Amino acid sequence: MTAAGYAIATERLSKRYGDTLALDQLDLTVAEGEVYGYLGPNGAGKTTTIRLLLGLHRPSSGRATLFGVDAWGDPVTAHRRVAYVAGEPFLWPSMTGAETLAFLARLHGGTDVAYRDQLVERFQLDTRKKIRALSKGNRQKVQLIAALATRADLLLLDEPTSGLDPLMEVAFRECINEAKHRGQGVFLSSHILSEVEALCDRVGILRDGKLVDQGTLQELRHLGVQTVEVTFTGPVPQLAPLPGVRAQAAGPNALRFEVSGSIGPLISALAEHPVATLTSREPSLEEIFLHHYDSSDGHAAG
Amino acid sequence: MPPASATNAPGATTAPGATDAAGLRGGPALSLARRALRDARIRTVAFAYMFAAYSYIEPVGYRHAYPTLHDRLGFAHSFANNNAIRLFYGEPYNILTVGGYSAWRVGGTLAIIAAVFGLLAAVRALRTEEDTGRMELVLAGIVDRRTAYLAALAAIAAGICILWLGQFIGFVIGGLPAGGSAYLALATASVIPVCVGVGAIASQLAPTRRIALELGGAVIGLFFLLRVIADTASGLGWLRWATPLGWAEQLRPFTGARPLVLVLPVLATALALVVAERIAAGRDIGTGLLPARDSAEPNLRLLSSPSAQALRLERGSLIVWLLSTGAFAYILGLIAKSVNSAGIPKSAERELAKLGAGSVLTPTGYIAFVFIFFVLAVSLFACAQIGAARHEEADERLETLLALPISRHNWLGGRLALAATAAVAISLTAGILTWAGAESGGARISLPKMIEAGANCVPVALLFLGVAALAYATVPRASAGIAYGLVTIAFLWDLVGSLLGVPKWLIDLTPFKHLAAVPVQSFSSGPAAVMVGIGLLAAVTALELFRRRDLLGA
Repeated sequence: MTAAGYAIATERLSKRYGDTLALDQLDLTVAEGEVYGYLGPNGAGKTTTIRLLLGLHRPSSGRATLFGVDAWGDPVTAHRRVAYVAGEPFLWPSMTGAETLAFLARLHGGTDVAYRDQLVERFQLDTRKKIRALSKGNRQKVQLIAALATRADLLLLDEPTSGLDPLMEVAFRECINEAKHRGQGVFLSSHILSEVEALCDRVGILRDGKLVDQGTLQELRHLGVQTVEVTFTGPVPQLAPLPGVRAQAAGPNALRFEVSGSIGPLISALAEHPVATLTSREPSLEEIFLHHYDSSDGHAAG
Repeated sequence: MPPASATNAPGATTAPGATDAAGLRGGPALSLARRALRDARIRTVAFAYMFAAYSYIEPVGYRHAYPTLHDRLGFAHSFANNNAIRLFYGEPYNILTVGGYSAWRVGGTLAIIAAVFGLLAAVRALRTEEDTGRMELVLAGIVDRRTAYLAALAAIAAGICILWLGQFIGFVIGGLPAGGSAYLALATASVIPVCVGVGAIASQLAPTRRIALELGGAVIGLFFLLRVIADTASGLGWLRWATPLGWAEQLRPFTGARPLVLVLPVLATALALVVAERIAAGRDIGTGLLPARDSAEPNLRLLSSPSAQALRLERGSLIVWLLSTGAFAYILGLIAKSVNSAGIPKSAERELAKLGAGSVLTPTGYIAFVFIFFVLAVSLFACAQIGAARHEEADERLETLLALPISRHNWLGGRLALAATAAVAISLTAGILTWAGAESGGARISLPKMIEAGANCVPVALLFLGVAALAYATVPRASAGIAYGLVTIAFLWDLVGSLLGVPKWLIDLTPFKHLAAVPVQSFSSGPAAVMVGIGLLAAVTALELFRRRDLLGA
């Protein structure tokens, strides 16, 4: 795999802190302009990945590149096309919102000031207030506005909506969609599944420092478990067991099937019986996600 | 929660092992106090060791340097009646005995350090806890404000006992009688609770930790200034009653003890703590009584680079440093003329040389001696700057910065350059204002000579700045402790090493030893170049090593 042409590329990227292997041989690519959702529960290694991508921590082995530039070796060049939002808004308490935005803009360069002012309106931020007087959500807005206003080619977002209220969450999603339409790429680390489902082209699921699944939502769904609910006009018939299909009672005349893989064989089997209604539902991202965490061996479907 | 309601129910039988009402009140308070003590353990232990070592060294050194009464008389006549010396050690009462001498030397300096300890402990426990939001968490539980406050004070009280013990052990091993040692250690320790009271009130007034420390620091500076005036100016000795540092002197350990004076620190402490408690009970958590402006029109100056912003953020403390150094230097200059060389026996000169003070019996000699304390102050300033850099990293704001197109070299290099420039500014301020004070006081010293004396502070400070930066790059979490520790040890070693008669090469290890006594001697460029060279080398190494390590949170 070559790093060129990708916004993010990691090659067998690992990080060890003492006895803990925080990230284990991560191979990850995010194309330019792609919106990538990075899922995992607390402690899975999401923030570690981002710190390595930014060259804030040194890889124990492997390497990470941003737009083909080594993140550890040449962080300054790597960061020119990137804007970052940390999970916790760590800013300078004695500076006001406006001062912070001006400071971050000068340090990054290339900030679109008109767009920034528009963002301040949209996120309803009082920029005269000092950072120490802002709630966590409002401090988070300062970071988000600063990052979005740079119009950087890649937005690295580490749980960016923690602390935002639902209205602001909507504004955030609009902004990300706008960024996407402008051709900006986004790396969105999150554990808010609905957010990832709504925004991302591709999703990676991280567990204990390993990427256990990756693909478009369609691909993940295909590999996941579908739910089929069937009601019969009469009593529930006896069905021969089918591979990959689990049945359970769902009412007096109803069955619920959980199907891994194709539902074709199940449909054929049901055709011989008096079916009243049949509904099938694709797994939600939540179900896919939980699937990876419920199984104790942690083995990935893909 | 359930146990609380169960114990309140009348007639409820207490199950075996259940907490009774008193246990509940004592339980969380005790664990709070324990945690606070644990929190402060490194600082407490470091201070205790320093107290013990200093308390041991002084009596031993005195016996070694002045074995006979004749020696001691010579010393007393020349040295102890010198204003410059009194400035730092206070009024000597009877320095012909080992105990009296120790009380004078140890009491004077350690009382100041004890005052700083009290302030740090109080602000840490009463303001930093609130600043970080931890206090909110505690008060959201079953602990009320009063209990939390008392628990914090209990932890500090335990810390004070440890410091007292450190001193006591030091004196006893140093050969002083146990009873007198206990009383002398008590005299020094009596300063701490008063300054805890100062810190407690400052923590209620100030909305942030930093402002609380600055407020408290100003009050301690005032205490010190009052003692200096009382000890050096004739006819103003009564001012000693107005400062806790003076009360420690008035307790007169080993020279006609006056234990009744202890009433003063006890009353002052009680008053300050009650006032602080009253304020604490009535205000919102997370605020101070002083109004904090939450909004402001944007001021966009000094935002163009990380270094510019560092200057912007450090501006306040820099001004405080410049003003206090300047004020102190001016006073030193003013009283320089009162140093009197009449009637000093030749033999005393030899004794003074043993103390490494050069000739302190002329105004210039005295200024040269006193300037070693400015060297110390500027070196501590350098440590504080590295501490501020570390703080930026520990609070993870550095991640925000370094995720931007900014190199680590640029950031740390900028901070070091800022610290070095500020150290030069403070040093020159000391020189120039001492000259101004001397002019006003009628002592004739040339301005270029005093600028030279100021510049003489710079090499040692740069050396420690480089070493502190190296500590920061390699062991970030311990860097502030290492930096302050090295400066303090080097300084004390210079003061007492020569008294102990240890081999010369051991004493030569401290950079303070290699300072020329400007303005008596000329600025010696050789040692200065070596010190600056080592500092520079350490700084360059630090820049390189810092580039290779992970950023480390708190």
